[in-house]
Amino acid sequence: MIPNFLMFCAMLSIVFLVIALFSKMQLLKEAQGKIIRLDRSLEEMDEQGKLIMRTDMELNKTQEALDKKISGLNTLQKLSHSIGTTLEENQIFKTIAAEYLEELGFERCLACLWDELTKQFQIHLNIGYTDPELAKIKTTLQEDKKYYFSLVHNGLTSSSLFNPPDFLSKEKIKLYFAANSFIISCVLPKEGSRGFFFVGTQNMETRITEGDCELVTILANQIGQALDNARLFEKAWKSQQELEVKVEERTRQLSQAFEEVKKLDKRKSDFISSVSHELRTPLTSIKGYASILLTGKLGNIPEEALERLKKINRHSDELVHMVNDLLDISRIESGKVIMKFETLSLKEIMEKINDLFAEQFRAKNITFSYQLAEHCDTLSADRSQIERVFINLIGNAFKFTPENGKISVNVKCLDKNIQIDVTDTGFGIPEDAQEAIFEEFYRVENPINQEVKGTGLGLTLVKHIIEGHHGKIWVKSKIGQGSTFSFTIPTN
Amino acid sequence: MTLVALHYILTTMKVSLGFNESKDYVQAVNEAVGEATIGLQNNLPSFAIIFTTIEFAHPMVLKILNNLLGDTPIVGCSSLGIISGKKIIRHGFAIALVSLGQQTFFNASCVKEISKRTPLKTGEELGEKLLYGCRDVRRNFSLIFSDGLIANPGQLFNGLEDKMGKSFPLIGAAASDNLAFSKTFQYFNKDVLTDACCGILWGGKLNFGWGIEHGWKPLGKERLVNKANKNVIQEINGQPAIKLYEEYLDKNSLELSKDLKRISIFYPLGVYLPGENKYLLRNITAIKDDGALITQGDVPEGSNVRLMIGTKESCLTATKKSCEDAQKRLFGVKPELIMVFNSASRFTLLNKQAAQEIEIIQQVFGPHVPLIGIYTFGEAAPLESINYLGKTYFHNQSICVLAIGADK
Repeated sequence: MIPNFLMFCAMLSIVFLVIALFSKMQLLKEAQGKIIRLDRSLEEMDEQGKLIMRTDMELNKTQEALDKKISGLNTLQKLSHSIGTTLEENQIFKTIAAEYLEELGFERCLACLWDELTKQFQIHLNIGYTDPELAKIKTTLQEDKKYYFSLVHNGLTSSSLFNPPDFLSKEKIKLYFAANSFIISCVLPKEGSRGFFFVGTQNMETRITEGDCELVTILANQIGQALDNARLFEKAWKSQQELEVKVEERTRQLSQAFEEVKKLDKRKSDFISSVSHELRTPLTSIKGYASILLTGKLGNIPEEALERLKKINRHSDELVHMVNDLLDISRIESGKVIMKFETLSLKEIMEKINDLFAEQFRAKNITFSYQLAEHCDTLSADRSQIERVFINLIGNAFKFTPENGKISVNVKCLDKNIQIDVTDTGFGIPEDAQEAIFEEFYRVENPINQEVKGTGLGLTLVKHIIEGHHGKIWVKSKIGQGSTFSFTIPTN
Repeated sequence: MTLVALHYILTTMKVSLGFNESKDYVQAVNEAVGEATIGLQNNLPSFAIIFTTIEFAHPMVLKILNNLLGDTPIVGCSSLGIISGKKIIRHGFAIALVSLGQQTFFNASCVKEISKRTPLKTGEELGEKLLYGCRDVRRNFSLIFSDGLIANPGQLFNGLEDKMGKSFPLIGAAASDNLAFSKTFQYFNKDVLTDACCGILWGGKLNFGWGIEHGWKPLGKERLVNKANKNVIQEINGQPAIKLYEEYLDKNSLELSKDLKRISIFYPLGVYLPGENKYLLRNITAIKDDGALITQGDVPEGSNVRLMIGTKESCLTATKKSCEDAQKRLFGVKPELIMVFNSASRFTLLNKQAAQEIEIIQQVFGPHVPLIGIYTFGEAAPLESINYLGKTYFHNQSICVLAIGADK
């Protein structure tokens, strides 16, 4: 019995063991499945990781390029502004500061222009190079100048990205300029010396892109344009300086000539004055003797002689008149006449003039009138001189106004002056003679002047008197329509 | 009126900074030192840390400094740019004058000609020199400035650890140049050096905190480095190491070589550190003909690597995280000085947004804490340390923020 029982137990255990083994195998199988699934997921995730990394790399590249472009453009704008507003050749290079270059990704920079005098490239700007480094560069520039000259001549750009075939090798440039990356762009102003602009960096991580080359080329072009502007400005400035020197010279010459003229004028006035004085004494005697002879106190004079005597007397009067006018002009010119200013009633002066000319006006049936504006009836002037002005102007008007004509005086107040217009309905004055009539001995060519004698000094005297009162005189006239002589006298 | 005589004893550390951007280095050094000296308020400087851009790497600069500072020890290095509290200085000079209090001390030293030894031996020698006279006192941390162009810089820190202790915090910066990758400079007292490393050991009653982050995230499957020697990875997953990049970026070896710097910045290799639960970044500096990758820093054989991906935003988030870590480790002590060692790659990546990092640092520490920093070709600092207490790693593409304050 016992062995059978044991046998049964053993069988039962085996069955259980088989079941357990089977169950374990099932679990193992499931775990293996899980592991395979996990492994697959891990592989898939790894593949996803690769995709993420590739995408990230492209994004970073794009972002970097974009950042660089924006930063470059921003810097270029700042640089262009400062270069463009500079009009001095040397200052153009000074505006390119190290900070700007660093923003463009470079820390070394040179600007070289060809010097026709020394036949070599001169360095106008140096950023980032020590004196010994610069001395070495100068030597290589001199040794290889034909390559640089050719580069500039052909307007080419050399860089660590692309180098023209006939230029120095990239390695040589890197060695000469101690830079791992570089761009050399030509500076090509339209006129004057040309050259090149070098930028470089020792930074091993910098990679020159086409965008960098474009930016530096634009910058080099800007420098070229700025050089053109500066040179043009320099030229214009020099021309202006020369012109100013010329103007100064001419002004000096004119001043000298003017001084000469003034001297001559004074000499002339002195001469006229002394001659007039000298003439007046014998003239007075001539006139005196002629008057005595005309009275007949020295015996009867034959009719023919009497007539000649009367002519002598009349011409003497005219000569005395002329001499007096000349003397007056000379005195006023030399400042010997002191104006005695007093407040004068214009109405009173007008009435006096009217009385003076009344007979003559009547004879030619000329209407004389005057009009004084309100609150404008007084004048501050020298009485005798201003009366001479009116007598001369109205006398002239009378002389050149035909019968039945009109002469009027119109007085108006301006801001700081009194303006008096003397208008006639006479023959008028040709336009080309309107300024000359105030010159001494000038007489307008017209039939009246040929008939009526005059000294040609009246208007000159009037002008001098008005100017002696700090006023001005001018004329407006049209042939056949009459003339208006206007003058101003300051109210103070 | 009673006159009271006051005797000032400096019990806490005092730091004053000077920055200058003048192109004339005589003027720049004079003005920056003048500014820093005024800020020190009649306290004598214990030592000076100087940073310059590449144009200032000139013996005259050190000569002027020695004339102005007398026997004050000077350490420092060159950089692509200087980080100040106001801006990033692309051409200039900066100085930090540090006046230590009564119970604090330092030791500065230097080892020249690394290439004539090995980085490991150099590290050991520098460690020995820094420990000289400081073996029996409380040591806080060491600040190390090394040539940024040496091969296997990680070995330098291994050598330092061998002498100074595996858990001794080392904060380091690999000097940089203007990205020409031709020559970097280290400054020690009167010398302008290259192929050298110098450092300062800080000890006594000081508090410091640091944070180091990069902000890159792993992408894709983890892979095994089958064959590697120091900073050369020969095989990954049984294939030439370059295959990893070829697969992920769908580019052949030649295309990758042409664009290697950019690719390396955007997609560095992440080496998983099991004990730290973090990824250490490695830039690829070159591709060998057999498809092996040369990295900036060691990659141990048998380590797991992944390709890493980052953005400007993740970079800035890392800046904030490193500041917060540094502040946390200060345990409430007010920082007297913030030093930043920031990767030159991050500067290239962030470009115009680079100055935002200054804002972030000042948001965490406040706008008035003295801030000085540089861009580096590699950064060294311990990570969070789970298994290894403060083991120092050589990092790439990371920002290391060091906050120093007086003892509580």
